[in-house]
Amino acid sequence: MKKRDAKPNATRLSIHASEEKFALALVTPAFLITFLIVLIPLLYALYLSFNRAEVLVVGGQGGLVTEFRGLKNYFYFLSSPDFWYSVRTTLYFTVASLIIELVLGIMVALLLNEEFWGRGVVRTLLILPWAVPTVVNARMWGLIFEPHAYGALNGLLQTLHLLGPEQTINYLAPIPLFQNAPLLGELTSWLGITRGLTWIIVGDTWKTLPVVALLLLAGLQAIPLDLYRAAKVDGANAWQRFWLITLPLLRPIILIVLVYRTMELFRVFDIIYILMAYTIPVLGVTTFQQSFVFGNFGKGSAIAFLIGLLVLLLANGYIHLINLEERE
Amino acid sequence: MKRSLWFNWFSLLALAAILLTACSTPSPTVEPLPTEEESATLHALYMNQAGYSEEILQEMAQQFHADNPGVEINFTFVKYDELHDKIVTSAAASTATYDVILLDLIWTAEFGHKGYVIPLDERITEEQKADIAPAIFDAFIYNDQMWAFPFLANFQNMFYNLDHLQAAGFDGPPATLEEWYAQMVALKEQDIVQYPYIDSWNQKEGLVCDYVRTAAQFGGNLFDENGQPIMDQGAGLRALQFMRRLVDEELADPAALTTDEPGAMNALISGAATFNTNWTFVRGNMLDPEKSNIVDAARTGLLPTAKDVAAPAGTVSGFQGLAVMANSDKQEVAWRWIQFATSAEVQQQHLESEFPIWSSLQNSEQEQEINPDAEFYATNLANAHHRPKVANYPEVSAIIQEEVHSCLLQITSPEEATAEMVQRIDALEE
Repeated sequence: MKKRDAKPNATRLSIHASEEKFALALVTPAFLITFLIVLIPLLYALYLSFNRAEVLVVGGQGGLVTEFRGLKNYFYFLSSPDFWYSVRTTLYFTVASLIIELVLGIMVALLLNEEFWGRGVVRTLLILPWAVPTVVNARMWGLIFEPHAYGALNGLLQTLHLLGPEQTINYLAPIPLFQNAPLLGELTSWLGITRGLTWIIVGDTWKTLPVVALLLLAGLQAIPLDLYRAAKVDGANAWQRFWLITLPLLRPIILIVLVYRTMELFRVFDIIYILMAYTIPVLGVTTFQQSFVFGNFGKGSAIAFLIGLLVLLLANGYIHLINLEERE
Repeated sequence: MKRSLWFNWFSLLALAAILLTACSTPSPTVEPLPTEEESATLHALYMNQAGYSEEILQEMAQQFHADNPGVEINFTFVKYDELHDKIVTSAAASTATYDVILLDLIWTAEFGHKGYVIPLDERITEEQKADIAPAIFDAFIYNDQMWAFPFLANFQNMFYNLDHLQAAGFDGPPATLEEWYAQMVALKEQDIVQYPYIDSWNQKEGLVCDYVRTAAQFGGNLFDENGQPIMDQGAGLRALQFMRRLVDEELADPAALTTDEPGAMNALISGAATFNTNWTFVRGNMLDPEKSNIVDAARTGLLPTAKDVAAPAGTVSGFQGLAVMANSDKQEVAWRWIQFATSAEVQQQHLESEFPIWSSLQNSEQEQEINPDAEFYATNLANAHHRPKVANYPEVSAIIQEEVHSCLLQITSPEEATAEMVQRIDALEE
């Protein structure tokens, strides 16, 4: 019996081994590409973050020249009030955007989950802002927020008589909200909560809301309708159905949206750089300024890794929540 | 640094090469340009924001190609803000992405110090030097070497709306800074405009230019002759106090704090503002009926100085030159293109577009005919002040931008802001 069993075992082992080889062959190209375009630059950036690194051209050959500095680049930022101001400003942008996107996203998703005439068209139209390139979106909002009477939003508000003919609003002014209110003004100033950044959140949310709404819509469609029918039979009103059925069952997808959007928002760069250059020093803008404007690629890499670390901490928190969710 | 070892070797080799060359060849040889069969494409980085337009540059390239069929010029046009980053990225490559770059005078020290561009001293003739104002030439000299050939004689001028001034009872533009202030007060009090003055005070390089210019109007600079910051006293402090006063008294448009140069120009040519201090590109736009509402009232003038300043005007330079990347493999062709594009013959064809770098052209009858404001231009140009020539200029500029902006946002006082500037600039790492 033993002999008769040994053969199939050997065959099974050999099939298993060849399957492993096949799998390895399939994975190898992806692994190589990842290694070449992700891992090597990442390791190089990590190396740069421990160095003073600047671009020099010597003997007709350009390149990065390095000098080891240990952890000095990291300490430079961790002890810099400007860095922590950047962190607070970025956190305000991230948290405020997330709240608006989630609240509006859920509302839009609930609306689009209902049956109504022309729903397909509305769903298609919803995706349009997402298709607009980020740079175009930034320029468009620049024209809308133009501070003179010929700015689109000022013009609209004047036409509607919500602003007087001489009145205009400088939407992008980087002044702290409630600047003149005692304590509150100081708090908003310390947190980097400015009028300009708040209006930029509006512009950025307009573009990204569709993707959030669509993800949430997908989550809504996965909720069994029987639950709502049963709740109705039990006399639950619309709010109770939303609060006790929709929201709890949407939690996994909300967590995914949170992870995805937090990472995106925390490293925001383009819309702020295009509209405000270096006026609003979110972390992405500071990284770019250190690296490409000041030519300090070592410091630029260090701050990039610090951003990575902060995002990792946030993501870890979310993943912990997701795990809790799954266990429940 | 690793560089020092390489640098030493390179210096030794370079020295040996120079000695050998000096012994063997009595005069430098000029490489022939590629023939049509050989053909070479020269990559040039330029901006599409101010200065010669894209169409004019393409026209120049076609002329150059007609004379040199073997050479094609391939332009990359970017916004001014992107120029520096593109050049740094190009310098980081073993062989340059761009052979010729547009070099703003504020990068002269940085690019010369880091070896991004080649010195041009040996290529420039005495005849050329004699026909370009020293103020323009000096802008591209660092460590006694010339790093770019002047291309754009850009500087700030006063642009104003004569109709507004006449409505307020003034015959013409202000002769002094004090008079300028009085005119602005009158314009506002008589409700002729809501905000008489607009400038580009968003937190960008333009803000440093405006601060340097205002200091020049008070007869001084932000840095001393040794490159040390002195804006916490004299003209630097008075300039920021003046700028802040314009904000506090709502004589300057609050929108200035989020506006760049083209935006400030739009406020002038729409008729919303009476005064705009801006670069030479404004003139063409304010006289263009398709763009401007104030064609008949638009005027150019001197930038007035304070009563106690002897100079007739005070402005800031924004000269730009063409430079050859040190890691370009087509340096000779690149230089030939620079010679062509900057030549008096080519600039003469485009006098409507830009004020020429050549003194002979500036004073020519043709220029006076085309540009009736040439006299104002010449006076402003002669009184242009440069921004500091330091290798870490981008960091210095960022500090000035932040502090001036913070002051104009009424967050800090001029005294606090200027003291902070000096302290932060002094604390910068070498």
